[in-house]
Amino acid sequence: MAKKALSPEERSEKRMMILTPIVAVLLALIIGAIIIACLGKNPFEGYAAMIQGSLGDGAKLSKTLERACPLIFTGLCAAFAYKCGVFNLGGEGQFIMGGCATATCVLGLGLEGPAGLALGLLAGIVAGAIWGLLPGIMKITRGLNEMITTIMLNYVAMYFMEYIFKNVYSDNGLPKTVAIPQSARLPEVLGTHVGVILAIVLGIFTWYVIFRTSFGFKIRAVGMNPIASKVNGFPVRRLVLLAFVLSGAIAGLGGAVELLGKTPYRLADGFGSGFGFDGVAIALIAQLNPIAAIFVAFFFGVLSTGGTMMQSVIGVPTAIVEIIRGLIIIFAVAGMAAVKLPKIKAYVAARLDARAKKAEVNA
Amino acid sequence: MTELLRMENISKRFGSFYANKNVTLDVQEGEVHTLLGENGAGKSTLMNVLIGLYQPTEGKIFMHGKEVSISSPRVAVEQGIGMVHQHFMLIDDMTGLENIILGDKRHSSPLLQEDADRKAVEEIMDRYGLEIDLDEKVGEMSIGMQQRVEIMKVLFRGADLLILDEPTAVLTDLEVEGLFDIMRSLTAEGKGIVFISHKMREVMRISDRVTVLRRGETVETVRVADTTEQELADLMIGQKFVENTYKKVTDATKEEFVLKDVSFHPEIKHGGLKDVSLTIHKGEILGVAGIDGNGQTPLAEVVTGLVKPDSGKVIGPDGAEIAIFSPEAFIDAGLGNIPEDRNKMGLVGDMTIAENLVLKQTESDQFSLGHGKWLKMGEIHSYAERLREENDIRCTSVDQTARSLSGGNQQKVILARELEGHPKLLVAVYPTRGLDIGATEFIHNQIVAQRDAGCAVLLISADFDEVLKLSDRIVVLFEGQIMGTYSGANPPIKEISLAMAGK
Repeated sequence: MAKKALSPEERSEKRMMILTPIVAVLLALIIGAIIIACLGKNPFEGYAAMIQGSLGDGAKLSKTLERACPLIFTGLCAAFAYKCGVFNLGGEGQFIMGGCATATCVLGLGLEGPAGLALGLLAGIVAGAIWGLLPGIMKITRGLNEMITTIMLNYVAMYFMEYIFKNVYSDNGLPKTVAIPQSARLPEVLGTHVGVILAIVLGIFTWYVIFRTSFGFKIRAVGMNPIASKVNGFPVRRLVLLAFVLSGAIAGLGGAVELLGKTPYRLADGFGSGFGFDGVAIALIAQLNPIAAIFVAFFFGVLSTGGTMMQSVIGVPTAIVEIIRGLIIIFAVAGMAAVKLPKIKAYVAARLDARAKKAEVNA
Repeated sequence: MTELLRMENISKRFGSFYANKNVTLDVQEGEVHTLLGENGAGKSTLMNVLIGLYQPTEGKIFMHGKEVSISSPRVAVEQGIGMVHQHFMLIDDMTGLENIILGDKRHSSPLLQEDADRKAVEEIMDRYGLEIDLDEKVGEMSIGMQQRVEIMKVLFRGADLLILDEPTAVLTDLEVEGLFDIMRSLTAEGKGIVFISHKMREVMRISDRVTVLRRGETVETVRVADTTEQELADLMIGQKFVENTYKKVTDATKEEFVLKDVSFHPEIKHGGLKDVSLTIHKGEILGVAGIDGNGQTPLAEVVTGLVKPDSGKVIGPDGAEIAIFSPEAFIDAGLGNIPEDRNKMGLVGDMTIAENLVLKQTESDQFSLGHGKWLKMGEIHSYAERLREENDIRCTSVDQTARSLSGGNQQKVILARELEGHPKLLVAVYPTRGLDIGATEFIHNQIVAQRDAGCAVLLISADFDEVLKLSDRIVVLFEGQIMGTYSGANPPIKEISLAMAGK
């Protein structure tokens, strides 16, 4: 492959794009530290506990990975859709419907063993895809804004799931389904269910599809300029619909993996809750790059498993972690908007110039 | 005559690049002073200095003989300088009057003084013959009236010096006449006008003096009475400019693309087509002349497959009637398309130049393995480098976004992409709108070369000079109908212009 010759401006822009989320994270952590200090606790101890609690040993690391796993799926779901200009905010609903379909498939049909596992995953994918297809059809035929329809469908999915775990597959009348039988669960590798590996592979695959195939090329073109795409002969409506379906399928698979891979292996209140919007945030911080989304999702996993440890060690509420996460999102999004401002661009360019000159003098 | 404005030795530097260097410009009261120059000659920079958006690196500005420092757009307004931008800055959902008085601070009261303002506005309207329907929403006004609202906004704020940035680019010929009448009545009252335009004929008609800029520097200021179009063109591009007259083809007979009685929303006079029949031969340029808004857009949409005509037949290169109207089908049948709006319809601005160049071919074996399953990035890159070289696309890298290019270079990207596929039919809609002479020449040459290679070309343009220069045959479109077909060699100009006016 030929090496790309980038102009200095573009190189600096690329660097800024990588730097922005890192700076956002650091800033958020600093502000988090100040808040912890204001509460009269030692922030360094707190952060040490957070790292200890999330990455401290094998078991904790695998817990963090399992926590990050669904977020990778919803993050990829959002990133893929946004690349095509589809603002799918329904990752959560698609995730939940994936879980519901998997539960129905395994529990309802009484499937066990690898067949149950395989069909369960497949059912999750299909259900997520259908839950993505609905707003897609509404957008293409009637022009309904997908941001609204997908959010509405999240609620439908949530209440549908409630019906399932309360009324259909309830565990002795308790508000949760019976557990997935042992034989149909995702196998474990190195203490973590293989869904994590599946998520990472899917992330890399999504990157490949978006950036290295003709299909992804067209998806990106449609996302950035649907009119030019149409004039140049792309089947725009079909591509948009496919983006809905595929992003829904990714989230649906996430729901299936979550149910088949993670304790308690059942649907209950709170299953998938908040994952959709975390996915949106992850996609934005990752600047719609699927591989970056894996890392951001992992970091979110660290925050949430580590947050619990921080709470028990220094006695600050886990809400601190929520605040930090919120700040990261704000700083990252604001930062990305800011680096596109001409004044900041000019400043960075000037700094780079100066540095280049210095290097010349030194040489 | 007294002096209204003098800009003395203005320089504006960006980094190490001088956008303006020692530019001097003066405008007298009652004068129309044209600023002429190719794209990138420094006209916009100079005007941005004048309206306070940029601070000059060096140089002085005098208004009414007194030195002023225009530190912000607000100071410019206070000094009586007003600019009418090419792209209107109006709010569509507000009425004409609301737009005019919006943000004006003449009253100390926090409440709107609509009645008093309406009176003041009507007075100005009467004085200069500006016709505006003050109670109509701007979004529902014609482009000409929207422009008058913009002019009124500037006058209402007490401007003595008006800057009109390519005001005729968006207007029909009739509206241009109206604008010129207004300009004349403004200068009669002692206002000064800086007029920016590419259209030499208009410049000669309306201006008193012309200042020519080239590469950021003043070349010369000349009185229109003492110069000719040819001389101005020479000054502008800096070398002897020879109007390239192309050989006209008169013996093309093989029918490549035929429209038979095609109608599309014929009830709409300025947006439909009514029983349009035309034939484009292989190896021929068919020019469609006409005043903008007489059916050019629907015609372009029909021949590129974007819309399906209500009735009539379209016969493609293989002699069969076309049944499926979609851009895909037309492209497969051999269509090359230079669309009307290059940013909206031609390019994906946020993708790279290289990506835009291979836009339609990502599934070909040349650029991918397995019909698009793996893009050959290296191949795409070197292909783009080759086209960049061949088409003189000026950029630092083919991996920069298409959006970052100038208009001329954007158009070269589109042209390179469309012609590389060796189309059987090339549809070019306003292919050189807004481009400088150099880029225009290049694009004209490419279109003619394509014809010589056997391509059938349909040229749709509101620029009559362009149609005359390139076309082998000319049809005239008026209110969605074909008024007549004329030979492109020694065209009967008088007859054609009458047809364009519907006679």
